[in-house]
Formats: sequence, structure tokens, C-alpha cells
Amino acid sequence: MTFEPVTGRYLTVTVQGRRQRIYVEMAGTGTPVLCLHTAGADTRQWRHILNDAELTATHRFFAFDMPWHGKSLPPEGFQTEEYLLTTDAYIETVLAVSHALGLDRPILAGCSMGGRIALQLAALHADRFAGFIAIEASDFQPAWYDIDWFHRPDAHGGEMGAALVSANISPHAPDAERWNTLWMFMQSGPGVFRGDLSFYTRDDSLIGRLARIDTTRTPVHLLVGAYDLTCTPEDARRTAAAIPGATCTVMDELGHFPMSEHPAGFRPFFADALARMKVADHV
Amino acid sequence: MRATLALMQSRLDDSPHLLRLGRLFSETVLIEVDGAEYYLTFRDGHLAAIAEGPSRKTPWRFALRTDADALAQFWQPRPRPGFHDLFGLVKIGRGRIDGDILTLVKNLRFFKEFMALPRTAPQPEETA
Repeated sequence: MTFEPVTGRYLTVTVQGRRQRIYVEMAGTGTPVLCLHTAGADTRQWRHILNDAELTATHRFFAFDMPWHGKSLPPEGFQTEEYLLTTDAYIETVLAVSHALGLDRPILAGCSMGGRIALQLAALHADRFAGFIAIEASDFQPAWYDIDWFHRPDAHGGEMGAALVSANISPHAPDAERWNTLWMFMQSGPGVFRGDLSFYTRDDSLIGRLARIDTTRTPVHLLVGAYDLTCTPEDARRTAAAIPGATCTVMDELGHFPMSEHPAGFRPFFADALARMKVADHV
Repeated sequence: MRATLALMQSRLDDSPHLLRLGRLFSETVLIEVDGAEYYLTFRDGHLAAIAEGPSRKTPWRFALRTDADALAQFWQPRPRPGFHDLFGLVKIGRGRIDGDILTLVKNLRFFKEFMALPRTAPQPEETA
């Protein structure tokens, strides 16, 4: 029997006065990198990076499931709550998990809503991180759909969510990884994708904060897939242009979930992004 | 377009997983291509009838309006960005979806895969 080199553990943090049991996966040795999943999914999106022998030789990757997602339970009393993620709760969760893991200024790599919060953290808590890789991330995306579609008693929100987000997966993605990526959305808990989208499509507070990001202290690199309909290359370029010193690379054959939908295609772009973060070591 | 729709009808009948996904789908859908109307009547996931318009009397649940060139690009093995998905066509201004969108979304995987049936499978790519 051969185990993968990925280890999964649980820890408990307090966020906005409530205890949250968090599932964390980790692998590798070296520079710490904290990885954030997209809306409606979980840490499994990072499975290929955590299994990458070369990248894990020089980096220690951590990926965790947000509360309500994957193997992190919702908080006590969730059964009568409407889950709606907020910027403040998201920021506090990332900082609490990073602190609980004992990380010293990790690189923060987030995709989609994870990329959005990475940029919020770059603006508000840059001292806690060494650099930011914002994947499929933009300043703000209003919804072109009704987020209430994804939480209703007469239909399966996960299946509808998966069918919708399939629009953002590149036709270059290997079929097996396309469906592995969609499976996470199909498994998402009731109302969780909707609650994530509430944060992603209604909070535009990042727009006014982009200019305060200091890339001379913490580099910011954006990665965006050409097949991403939600965060288009134009959206990412606009966002990067509003951050003095930020860089942006368009990935021609990738979509909105690059590390999960097309691992081999994403890998060189992510390795390049990690290399760009190293300038922070000399600041 | 009529021949392509007949091909889609045949491929649907040969796709057990789509028939299972669409087993509760019994609606009429309007496909409009360059202004030409095609009314597709589904029964329990099968495409039971294809009727050409124009018609002002045929009720439909939702409609997809696009053009022949956009569909030809959509049916490529690996379409260009925007042409790779029905909502992509809408996003780049080459398609419009009207009517009961919620019914479409409830059956979205079925309808998307039905519309992609003329697409030939891409050859495996060399990956680094």
C-alpha cells in the first residue's frame, strides 16, 4: 500500500465568537503556502498541488475547508440559520486558521472567492503574509444569475450549481478532472453555494481598497483562465491594473478552477507565481 | 439545421445517461437559429417531435436564440472561449435565452449535454 503524501488533520478555531472545527490538508517542506478553495467546493480542489513532488520539495502547502464546506462542520446551531458568508467572517477565518497552524507569513493562494479574499487580506492584513496569488480573482462580480436558484426545496442545488459552473471549465480540461471538479459542487451542502455567492456577488468593498495594496512589501500575482466566464481575463486585468505593481497572467487553455480541472495545464503557471513571491524574502 | 436536430434526436435516444437525467423533462423548447424557429417537444427525456416555425400558436417553456455560425463554433471539439458553453454564447452576445429560466436551470445538465450532442469528442491532448 502506498499512501499519498497528503496529511489531513482537524483543528478548532474561534471565528466571530463561535467555535469552528476546521479540516486541514498539508504536504511538503519549505516556504508555507496557505491555499483557499472556491465557492461551493472544498480543499480537494488543491489535490494535485499537494501531490506535486517538485513543488512540495520546496513549499509546505496547507489547504483547509471553510466552515460549512467539505469536512469542516457548520457551527453549532446551524440548523436554523441562513448561511451567508461575509467579508469580515471570511477574513477572520483565514487569519484564525493561519494563526492556529503557526504559520509565519505564508504565501496566500486563493481561487475565485478565495482569490477575492486574498486581495482583501492584501489590502487589510498584508503584514500577516509574504505574498498573494489571486487566481480567477477580480474586484467585484455582480451575479448574472439568481443565487436563490441554488437553494430551494423542489430541486437539487448541488446538481444545478454544477451544471451552471460547468460553463467555466475549459474544453481542454481532461474529462476525468472536469467531473471530479463538478462532483464537489454536486456534494456541496444545502444553501452553501448560495451563501458563498452572496459574498462573491454582493460585496463590492474590495474596489476601494485595491490601491492601498503595497506590492513592494507583498507581491500580488493574478492568474486567470481564458475560458472563465465568471472572472474573465478582462476582469482580472482591470483588477490588476488597479493594484500598483501587481502582475497578471492569462492562461489560454484553462477555466475558473484551473488547479482542479486541468492540473497539468495549471502547474507551470502556479510554479511561476510561486517564484514571483520569492522577492518578498528579501524585503 | 433540420438534419442536425434529427441527428441530436437520434444521439439522445442512444444516450442512456441523458435519458435518465431527462426522465422528468417534458417541455417544448424553442431553438431559433438566424431567425428560423424550431420547436422541440421533449417527452420524458426523449425528443418526441421537431416542428419548424414560424408559429405564433406553439407555446414553449424556454427559448435559445442564436446564429448558425455560433452553433458551428459551439460544436467544435474544443471551441474558442465564449463558444464553449450556452451561457458563453449569451455572455459574448451570440445567444439569448428567454422564458422560464428556472425550468432550464433545473434541467441544465440535460439540456446543455443535449445541445452539445453534435460535438465530436476531442482527441486527447499531450500534457506537459
